[in-house]
Amino acid sequence: MPLPKPFEAALPSSDHSRFLFPILFGICFAAAFVGSWQLAQIQPGLLFEAEGRRNMGRFITGMFPPDLSLNFLRFLVVPFFETIQISVMGTVLAIAIGFPLSLLGTASLAHTGMLNDLEIAGSPGRRLARTLPYVLARAVMSVFRCIPEFVWAFMFVRAVGLGPFPGVLAIGVSYGGMLGKVYSEILENLEVQPSEALQATGASRWKILVYGMLPQALPQLVSYTLYRWECAVRASAILGFIGAGGLGQQIELSMRMFNFHEVVTLVLILFLLVAAVDFLSARARKAIV
Amino acid sequence: MSEPVYRLEGLTKIFDGTLTAVNGVDLTVRPGEKVAVIGPSGAGKTTLFRLLNLTVRQTAGRLWIAGQEIGDLHGARLREMRRKIGTVYQQHNLVPRLRVIHNVLAGHLGTWSLPQALRSLVRPREEDLRAAHRALSQVGIPEKLWARTDELSGGQQQRVAIARVLLQNPEVILADEPVSSVDPTLAHGIVKLLVELCGTFHKTLVMNLHSVDLALAYFPRIIGFRDGQIVFDRSPAEISDDLLTGLYAGRLTAASAEDSPDAVAETVRSCTPLLRPQ
Repeated sequence: MPLPKPFEAALPSSDHSRFLFPILFGICFAAAFVGSWQLAQIQPGLLFEAEGRRNMGRFITGMFPPDLSLNFLRFLVVPFFETIQISVMGTVLAIAIGFPLSLLGTASLAHTGMLNDLEIAGSPGRRLARTLPYVLARAVMSVFRCIPEFVWAFMFVRAVGLGPFPGVLAIGVSYGGMLGKVYSEILENLEVQPSEALQATGASRWKILVYGMLPQALPQLVSYTLYRWECAVRASAILGFIGAGGLGQQIELSMRMFNFHEVVTLVLILFLLVAAVDFLSARARKAIV
Repeated sequence: MSEPVYRLEGLTKIFDGTLTAVNGVDLTVRPGEKVAVIGPSGAGKTTLFRLLNLTVRQTAGRLWIAGQEIGDLHGARLREMRRKIGTVYQQHNLVPRLRVIHNVLAGHLGTWSLPQALRSLVRPREEDLRAAHRALSQVGIPEKLWARTDELSGGQQQRVAIARVLLQNPEVILADEPVSSVDPTLAHGIVKLLVELCGTFHKTLVMNLHSVDLALAYFPRIIGFRDGQIVFDRSPAEISDDLLTGLYAGRLTAASAEDSPDAVAETVRSCTPLLRPQ
């Protein structure tokens, strides 16, 4: 006996535009790939031509054996510590720039949602007083992080001369923009209920921040800051190429002198340094959760 | 007679210009009263509470608290007014990564200066420790003083939230579905606790409740709320089954218009426990 059909619902109609989009996207992607191949002058053959092979061979054979003479290593002590100092000071400066900007640039703290509704409703003046700093802080943060640290370093070398200091400034400013942006994303995405409850006790936004938002966000804030420090160690090496001191400057000098066996030593030291920082920050992250 | 704690005149909240959550509510609550608000979910009860505890601004109508019109209140005076209103929420209203002591002492944030608040996070003062311990004893979990809040059960967290309100020492306590996320057997205990504490300390209590049983058992004044409006406002003795069926009946007609007969039957079953047991 067939079961009775109690209820026959109409099939939802298919939305054809949903199938159109992936096809259009695929075509665009293919076109972009072909265009980029040509514009970027990709010629894999060049790598295997006689001239290229000879140069590569010279570079690689020149790398061995690495220069591990005591004289050279002793000479690297100062640049080694310089690199660490640049990355640490650069990150500290980045926090000092990024954290205040992130507070101004967090929408839920500045001008939207439950923490601001009663305060700014019905008063265009108060609304503007809270929205304007938010927009400005967002704008400053994007300028800071959109200009690569390499370009910042060029500018600061012109302004304050060669040495580690322009490297610190370059990392501080560009990473300040990045930290600020990510900090504000973290604060923005917190659960709002604890903050709402603190507000209901009569707490000001500062108190809501230190009692509610920062304790909740702390693991993420610390974790991302440590990751940025790792990046700063690498970046300080690159910045050395344009005269900002540290291991990078030594790599650049050795490259220019065709002393590839020194380059290998330097790269090795840089690798160990980054690995050590990675290990340290992983331990710190684990401790704080 | 003293000023009413709350006076509402045509209080209305419309979200995004279209969704009317609270629709022209007139209400007076006198000092020391204990009022339960019941009604189907989606009736606008939570929005009403957010209007009453000064979290959102009304779209229309007027609101007086202790004789003062809220109107354009902002800044320090708005925070001072919020301090006089304590709120216990449904859940997720504590800071999970803080220790219980700091969540309880957060009740002082309305009176503390920022440096005081920061110092307390580092090291609470002796007298604050004592006050927090006393409040936790009153809600029955003094041993949890130094526990991390996210390690507590849902019922214990709700007790911490009540201890925070005790430290805040407001004139009126609002409780928005304070027991809908805890075990039914614990629910009685928490509602009883709130009612008794408000009696002891002469606080006004307005509680939003899912369970009609609890409302009828503990509250001398019951407000039925539906579609953003007050349907009835009476003592438990005056509340009939017809009245309750009417309050929740809207759900059934809405279901029958859109859903299959099975869905309607399901809705009837799910509503039945809400009604008064015979």
